Amino acid sequence: MTCLEGPHSNQGPDKSCGPMAPEEELVSSSQLEEEEEENEEEEEDLDPDLAPDLEEGVDEEEEDLGDPAILSAVTNTQRGLPSSPGIKASGALGMSPASLHFLWQTLDYLSPVPFRPTHPSTSSPVRHFGPRLLPPDPYVFCSPPTSWSPRFSLPSHLTQLHPQHQRILQLQQHSRTPRSPAKKPWSRQSDAYANLMTRKEKDWVIKVQMVQLQSEKPCLDDYYYQNYYQKLEKKEADQELLGQRSKVESLKLVTPYIQKAEAYESVVRFEGSLGQVAMSTCFSPRRAIDAVPHGTPEPEIGAASSQRLRVLSWIEKMFLQLLEIEEGKKNGPPQSCYSEQQRNQVEKLFQALKTQEQSNLEETADGFLQVLSVRKGKALVARLLPFLPRDLAVSLLLAVIHHLPLLVKRDAADQVLQMLFKPLGKYISHLTFHELLQGLQGLMLLPPGSSERPVTVVLQNQFGISLLYALLSHGAKLVSLDPSLEEPSSDHTAWTDIVILIAWEIAQMPTASLAEPLTFPSNLLPLFCRHVDKQLVQQLEATMQLAWIY
Amino acid sequence: MAALSQLKMNYMPGTASLIEDIDKKHLVLLRDGRTLIGFLRSIDQFANLVLHQTVERIHVGKKYGDIPRGIFVVRGENVVLLGEIDLEKESDTPLQQVSIEEILEEQRVEQQTKLENEKIKVQALKDRGLSIPRADTLDEY
Repeated sequence: MTCLEGPHSNQGPDKSCGPMAPEEELVSSSQLEEEEEENEEEEEDLDPDLAPDLEEGVDEEEEDLGDPAILSAVTNTQRGLPSSPGIKASGALGMSPASLHFLWQTLDYLSPVPFRPTHPSTSSPVRHFGPRLLPPDPYVFCSPPTSWSPRFSLPSHLTQLHPQHQRILQLQQHSRTPRSPAKKPWSRQSDAYANLMTRKEKDWVIKVQMVQLQSEKPCLDDYYYQNYYQKLEKKEADQELLGQRSKVESLKLVTPYIQKAEAYESVVRFEGSLGQVAMSTCFSPRRAIDAVPHGTPEPEIGAASSQRLRVLSWIEKMFLQLLEIEEGKKNGPPQSCYSEQQRNQVEKLFQALKTQEQSNLEETADGFLQVLSVRKGKALVARLLPFLPRDLAVSLLLAVIHHLPLLVKRDAADQVLQMLFKPLGKYISHLTFHELLQGLQGLMLLPPGSSERPVTVVLQNQFGISLLYALLSHGAKLVSLDPSLEEPSSDHTAWTDIVILIAWEIAQMPTASLAEPLTFPSNLLPLFCRHVDKQLVQQLEATMQLAWIY
Repeated sequence: MAALSQLKMNYMPGTASLIEDIDKKHLVLLRDGRTLIGFLRSIDQFANLVLHQTVERIHVGKKYGDIPRGIFVVRGENVVLLGEIDLEKESDTPLQQVSIEEILEEQRVEQQTKLENEKIKVQALKDRGLSIPRADTLDEY
């Protein structure tokens, strides 16, 4: 094993320590071969930021020898101690201890390290830094002195590499074929001043830039690039599937992924205070400040507006929960089986939606209605529906049907209710005949003091009419499937009455005010044919055809 | 080595980096209006530049003149923009190169006319009771 002592270790094999066996010496000299040229450059390099020196110092650390200041900085910072030698060293480097720690994790990524399963000890990151001094690193030997294109082996566990990127790196390692000369003719014969900036220096600049890009949650901090890259990948995957064997592998910027180091807060801040607050510590004993937050009394606003505000803030809170659920679904396994935790979350959200902190049953429906009156509330319900278990979704559907006229009235912008149609429509087929009847009967009841049935309002709204048609179609399907319903019973008469009434209402309505449904079920006309006389059917056909030209 | 340095080094995809511009001829526009042309030899994280065989190019109308300057170290914050010069297309320009003395003379004349026009404008405004303060000649109160 190589024996390198002191800070002068990298100066050449002849200066290595005496008691080394001749074979070892040979081995070490060849190992250092690659290093020598770089290190010699380094020594002349009066880099004020000490960046290459950092690497040097850390290299030596691998051998448990080296510059004591940097060593102590290494160990101290790893333990997270802001002790003075650590700070001094990092101060010299112009970085805080925390960022120093991050820098190493970056160096991890960028240094040509053969992947090693790490020990769960704090010193493991540092062990990565001594790649060149370790026994045969084949990549260092075998690769020609190319320019500094990445010839790294699998990087450490601390970096997230895209699988394609990993493949690219592997490919590059395995195939060391030199690239064909550039297509652009090199007009200058030989640039005598080329490569004044060495690979090492370029690496260093890149390193510094990468350090500035690190983040704990790249999905949030770098949202647009991450999403852009996902789309790009998907497109390429599709292209590949389609047979375009071009295999365009676009590279991804991989920012160093950091784990949040334990950072203690040196300055205590209270909310609302202007700056630091005097805290008593053992070094500066002072009277501790009574920091008790006093709740300010809410100013009394009008009841209606406060109610509205309450609903809005409630919707916001529920939306946040919904986003969490969706995020969980997105990140988790792609199957539709939900984890226990997710199911609980969904349940909680549903309860929140229904109850709104009100005990009265009347008021719960009211609360739900209020949520649905807001555009965002509708969006919330529409997005929540796919997550709900069947019975809960059906109960929501029934509530919507029951209050349909009201919803339609409150939905000023026509487009907005439409978003509910698709998710709700899925659950219509789960309704039982009885439930369906109940819902529809509610729509047929003449409210006291008005000659107009609620259904007329519904027919004038696109969502309403689509829902109505879907319900009728489902009812017709149920009747046709279940012969027992054909027999005269209260249910059957009720059903027939409903159908006739609706048909009458449709015929009554001027075509202009009849809304265009989103979908037109095919079994509607036959349904009307069965229960209604021919003349009416013809009228209906004309009306409905005009309203929905298919 | 030359062929290998032609490799497209996609080391930081998705970002703008000067690494790939090294050892290429660039035109650099500075904040004070100067135009420098030189080979970019070295950079750092602040985009400080080291330009080699630099030439300061002065443009007046359709004429330009080059003043050889040697090696420039430019502080990054003073750069407005820079762009690579295609060595083949470099000579393909409608502009006419003249000697340094001539271009400096032209520049002096241009500056003079500009100052005179400015003076006339300021005088005209003053006559009408308006004074537009200029950023570089603000009165200190």
